[in-house]
Amino acid sequence: MIEVQNLTKRYPTQLAVSDVTFSVREGEIVGFLGPNGAGKTTTMRVLTGFLPPSTGTARVAGFDIVSQSRRARASLGYLPESAALYPEMRVREYLAYRARLENVTGADVRTRVEEAVESCLLTEVADRKIENLSKGYRQRTALAGALVHRPPVLILDEPTVGLDPMQIIKIREMIRTLGRERAVLLSTHILPEVDAVCDRVLIIDRGRIVAEGTPQELRRQLAGRPVVRARIKGKVAARESILKLPGVASVEETSDAAETRVRVECSDTDLSEEVFRLAVSQGWVLRELSPDVVSLEDVFVRLTRHESAAADEAAEAAGPAPAPEEGAES
Amino acid sequence: MKQFWAIVAREWRAYFLSPLAYVILAAFLGLNGYVFTVILAVLNEPSAPKDQALLYLFANGFTSWFNLFVIPIIAMRLFPEERRSGTIEVLLTSPVTEGEVVLAKFTGALGFFLTLWAPSLIYVWILRAHAPIDLGPVAAAYLGIVLLGGYFVSVGTFASTLTKNQIVAAIVTFAFLVPIFSTGLLDYLIRDPSNREKLNYVNMWVHLEEFARGVVDTRRIVYYVSATALFLFLATASLAAKKETP
Repeated sequence: MIEVQNLTKRYPTQLAVSDVTFSVREGEIVGFLGPNGAGKTTTMRVLTGFLPPSTGTARVAGFDIVSQSRRARASLGYLPESAALYPEMRVREYLAYRARLENVTGADVRTRVEEAVESCLLTEVADRKIENLSKGYRQRTALAGALVHRPPVLILDEPTVGLDPMQIIKIREMIRTLGRERAVLLSTHILPEVDAVCDRVLIIDRGRIVAEGTPQELRRQLAGRPVVRARIKGKVAARESILKLPGVASVEETSDAAETRVRVECSDTDLSEEVFRLAVSQGWVLRELSPDVVSLEDVFVRLTRHESAAADEAAEAAGPAPAPEEGAES
Repeated sequence: MKQFWAIVAREWRAYFLSPLAYVILAAFLGLNGYVFTVILAVLNEPSAPKDQALLYLFANGFTSWFNLFVIPIIAMRLFPEERRSGTIEVLLTSPVTEGEVVLAKFTGALGFFLTLWAPSLIYVWILRAHAPIDLGPVAAAYLGIVLLGGYFVSVGTFASTLTKNQIVAAIVTFAFLVPIFSTGLLDYLIRDPSNREKLNYVNMWVHLEEFARGVVDTRRIVYYVSATALFLFLATASLAAKKETP
């Protein structure tokens, strides 16, 4: 439903999106993940026809965003970053306006508005002025506005920003339901959101897509070797004994009088059991034994920091030696 | 077409959802009421030329100067408000063209300007009850108001696409309208009759007076319609250019 080919967007002073290629299928929710200023909003603005692309092409529901812009725009629902609304309008009035703007006519306007009010749980505020609504209701009104004409493609720019946890859960549920029969592209910089909502993730950094896959795939790709962490009561010489275990790649140990902490990097499979048996045979009192789970957060940090570290290295190689403080910082 | 009217209706209604509309409406009605009493005084004077009376309702200095201040205020919110709230993104990503958006907003603003004039129909009705009034010149005078209003509102629409700031938009509109107003004042300075005649092509004071006397000259219609079209075209071009640099 969304196909993006080598899309680049250049502003006069900077390259916002650089050679981006991806696609979103029907019934799929794709998360666009990246730090602030990575190019998420710009990409979405190009896809929605708000900004023209510099080079490259994109299709929405089969229509080219430049040469068939109007038909492409007719098939998408867009929730801009700021949840832009007319504060002086009432919720139903606003939704009816959005529906008419999207070429819904006659009696359909009423039914579509009621449908949107119901699906976005706006019934109790439907006749209130938007300016008097809480942030959560406003966000839901904006979302209702984006889907009032039943578009096959939804583009949502940070749909849960600024909401409280209960509201976030509700909006996520709604997006999940919507995504069953539509193609949804949503941007976020909140990592648990991706885990909770998205079927697939695109990680974007400095205008480039640096990773792509399901949240599980990304974790697996970047997890590297399995790691086991253990905390042992008292000061014991654990390192030597653990290193003798087969399949151990390396062991880090820190200890003080009360406790010894070890981090065991396994070369192949998880060695939690072996470490446990060793502890029993040695008579160590284990306070904790846990496999190190790589969170999506780690993946994200590693990917985006990797990039900047590489850039820093390049800068270092080119320029004079960096001051020691800079080295300490990174 | 339905989309177009949806924008027009929202735009027109938005005026009445802010206090500004009522302030302008009240001031305008007060002014028109005063002018009307002057007209009545003229009509009561046996020696006064009766056929000139209506001229004052439409072509008097008060209301024209009032327009000079009110139209920038009417037009200043058209695009800056959408830019500030971000709703411009919703508007321009819906399946309508920039030209349609500009034309719809212009129509909404012009609609509000004409709403200001609507109550003045009461005066015509009152006068008709007491004296014979020729409706021809009245219709011509209202046509003049529509044409002149359209021209000025189109200037304001263009100015409002240039900036995010409403005050700046109002001042730019004002700066455009002042020269248009003051061409009429050159009339006092120019002696040469052929130059004076040329000046009359763009002298809105002369045009208003003609319309109020019931003279509908196609040259005037062409002038106002094409000037309006020019500024709406510029507004569309400016809106499209703004897309490049958000």
